[in-house]
Amino acid sequence: MTTVQLTPEAAGLPGFDETLLARIGGAAEPALLQEKRAAAFAQYRELPMPQVRDEEWRRTDPALFPFDRFAPSPRLAPVPRALAASPWDEEFDVVVCVSDDGFSIHDRTGLLNSGSLVVLSLADAATRHPALVERYLQGAARVKAPRKFSALGDAFWTFGLFIHVAPRVVVPNGVLIRYQHRAAGKAVLPHLVAAVSDEAQLTIAEYYESPADAELLAVSTRELYAGRNATLRAASLQEWGARTYHIGEDWVRAERDARVEWVTLLLGGQVSKMMVSCDVHEPNAQAYLSGLFFANDNQHVDQRTLQLHSAPHTYSNLLYKGAVKDQGHSVYQGIIDAAPGAIKVDAYQMNNNLILNEGARADSLPGLEIDADDLKCSHGATMGNLDESQMFYLRSRGLPEAEARRLLVMAFFEEVIERVPHEFMRERVREDVRRKCGEGA
Amino acid sequence: MNKTETTIKLETDSKLVQEYQYGFVTEVATDELPKGLNEDIVRAISKKKNEPDWMTDWRLKAFRRWKAMREPRWAKVTYPEIDYQGIRYYSAPKSAAAGAAEADPELIKTFERLGIPLQERDRLAGVAVDAVFDSVSVATTHREMLAEKGIIFCSMSEAIQHHPELVKKYLGTVVPAGDNYFAALNAAVFSDGSFCYIPKGVRCPVELSTYFRINARDTGQFERTLIVAEEGAYVSYIEGCTAPMRDTNQLHAAVVELVALDHAQIKYSTVQNWYAGDEKGQGGIYNFVTKRGHCRGAHSKISWTQVEVGAAITWKYPSVVLEGDHAVGEFYSVAFTNNRMQADTGTKMIHIGANTKSTIISKGISAGESANSYRGLVQILPSALNARNHTCCDSMLIGDKCSANTYPVIEAETSTAITEHEATTSKISEEQLFYVQSRGIDEESATSLIVNGFCKDVFKELPLEFSVEAIKLLELKLEHSVG
Repeated sequence: MTTVQLTPEAAGLPGFDETLLARIGGAAEPALLQEKRAAAFAQYRELPMPQVRDEEWRRTDPALFPFDRFAPSPRLAPVPRALAASPWDEEFDVVVCVSDDGFSIHDRTGLLNSGSLVVLSLADAATRHPALVERYLQGAARVKAPRKFSALGDAFWTFGLFIHVAPRVVVPNGVLIRYQHRAAGKAVLPHLVAAVSDEAQLTIAEYYESPADAELLAVSTRELYAGRNATLRAASLQEWGARTYHIGEDWVRAERDARVEWVTLLLGGQVSKMMVSCDVHEPNAQAYLSGLFFANDNQHVDQRTLQLHSAPHTYSNLLYKGAVKDQGHSVYQGIIDAAPGAIKVDAYQMNNNLILNEGARADSLPGLEIDADDLKCSHGATMGNLDESQMFYLRSRGLPEAEARRLLVMAFFEEVIERVPHEFMRERVREDVRRKCGEGA
Repeated sequence: MNKTETTIKLETDSKLVQEYQYGFVTEVATDELPKGLNEDIVRAISKKKNEPDWMTDWRLKAFRRWKAMREPRWAKVTYPEIDYQGIRYYSAPKSAAAGAAEADPELIKTFERLGIPLQERDRLAGVAVDAVFDSVSVATTHREMLAEKGIIFCSMSEAIQHHPELVKKYLGTVVPAGDNYFAALNAAVFSDGSFCYIPKGVRCPVELSTYFRINARDTGQFERTLIVAEEGAYVSYIEGCTAPMRDTNQLHAAVVELVALDHAQIKYSTVQNWYAGDEKGQGGIYNFVTKRGHCRGAHSKISWTQVEVGAAITWKYPSVVLEGDHAVGEFYSVAFTNNRMQADTGTKMIHIGANTKSTIISKGISAGESANSYRGLVQILPSALNARNHTCCDSMLIGDKCSANTYPVIEAETSTAITEHEATTSKISEEQLFYVQSRGIDEESATSLIVNGFCKDVFKELPLEFSVEAIKLLELKLEHSVG
């Protein structure tokens, strides 16, 4: 492990230093993980702390995150049962439960014994499948240079999960990952690596939850890989309590003929800043990126996306819908980047925003960076309140105003909700939206 | 200050001249200040113009602010460091310095060659022209007719002499001296430009026009235009520009300020055809311009139409601040880049007043190895109840070595506003090309036809003669970019 000179505290988050690195990684971890953590830590120390004057942080002041109020939580260890069973578990082959006490992996249908599906903690995976971990952890999906918080996550992740599907295996019901954190004042750093081999299929559902009064910091990193002709459908529902802060960095990569669907649902938390980078890497690969965010009270959501078309004949379709209410503030920034030579690319990006009352604010920055000629890239962005004539129609049918508004907001989001692969999650999101609309909406 | 006299030899590379027919140099004796920029130069410019003290102080203040500022680097353009001390900030034809009204026959010839009639006999053309040659205005036509209506149309220098109260009242109120790096530079050293004042209730009967010509070597052009339309007034203003072809870059940092009071309308059209450099990117004008309109009054309207086909680098965002209730802002733009040209252009629509509306139509065409970016801001402040914006940015790519970028920003802070933004990027449609070619039209003409169709929404906003000019210009620029 290389030693890094300590620099002033300002260069990083309090407590995230070499001592912690030794405690979290340390001798107990396989050498492979130690090396990757150390390399990420070196990058983390070098990168400057984001400032509000940085273009990326202009609309989400880093000062919104009270970093000094959080102590790093220890690396999680396996426990017999981290969480009580949930009715949702029944829809899945494998359920992973993560809480402050530790994590547990439940093989509900015996698929894990067959060897075709691997669901292990990163530490176990590094021991049992070092070649796979070497390949996918901080792997080829990382199309952008490391940034402060991705490096932080890579160096200090407190729980790592590794999912791998062997070639030509279709996982019928998929994997559910439930994160439930309750301890206030803690920083949790979950890391997910999911790789679907050639011609295999997998569905993943992720769910985050914390109590309304517990102040938490989450820094998540996710890497999703779809091999040739593979299908990966994944959705993440973030329902943190009102005092949780979340910074997330996702990488998605689709190889030849692959199909990736990635749905991000941001409903909870105080401040969320998320980045999704999707590399549609080989011809005929398809990516469907979807997002839903709803910022009410004084929530702040900052969602960024990158659709990188690094090869010709690639397809991507992005739909992000957001609503702001009360004092809520949302930011959406998307880029379609067609690399030189990426001809016959078909890329689409749509961001719709509902501003439900005075005092709320929405920013949209849909961007195109095109360096090839024979292609079709387009984007659209809209902002506005509910359609008055639709309101009138519903009211004339006798619906109370609040109910009519709620119905229209639900209808607005339904287009994204339909892209969520799991029924339980679709229902849950509809409930959340309904609740957020409020009685007097 | 030393006065230097220079005569410039006519450049005779005929092949080049064919490609850029406005690339000739006029031989005139010039009155120049030495190269470089410091407080003495700023004072000297002010002195040459015989300006009152308040104007000199305004310039000096701007200069001090400029010195403390850093050149912006956020635009998607690259260029070598500009040596601000290597530029001559003042150069005027000697004859013009004597008296602007009786222009030098050599200058009249120059402008005629550019298609700009300066003599009164051409009054039937229906356009009043202010011609700016390097640093100073050389002639302004149609004055008496305009004066009858109370319209003031003269060079900025004259306005400072004869209408100081108006200049004082409006200068720098839309683009403050310290607005940005290039605006500050302009405020310090601006030498001329046009001043238009349309009094209450007057509809300007002719199009007002300024023609900018950079002639001398190593000079920069820093003109400042101010248009004020009082209550209920209307004016249509046209701006054109060309420069000789030289292998070094020349800086053009202009500022345009428009003020529209209640029910006033200003229509500002530009056909920008600065020399763009050769196919290797050698030479050309750096066009770093700040243009902003202020819809100060209720029901006022400001409309920008621009056809940008020249300049090595364009950095320009004609904007409208919609302060008055029911104000309307419009931006129609065609930006064409070829060879190694770079354009980073767009608009800002700042909605402050209630029921304000804005429309943005931007058409970018990139060919060769050029880079063409649209950058725009639509900002709806909480006070802009029922604000409305529609934005459409289309990019067309001709060739596989060029790039097209779109960077819009939309900020909405009221639930009563509606904004729509759409953008597409694609290559020229093969189907359309096939259709036109199957009618017996060759590929180059077919491309030209389709590109013209692509730009139609913008061209139709231009005054008629200008529209014809723009179509011809684009056709000319498109030559050799196919295949």
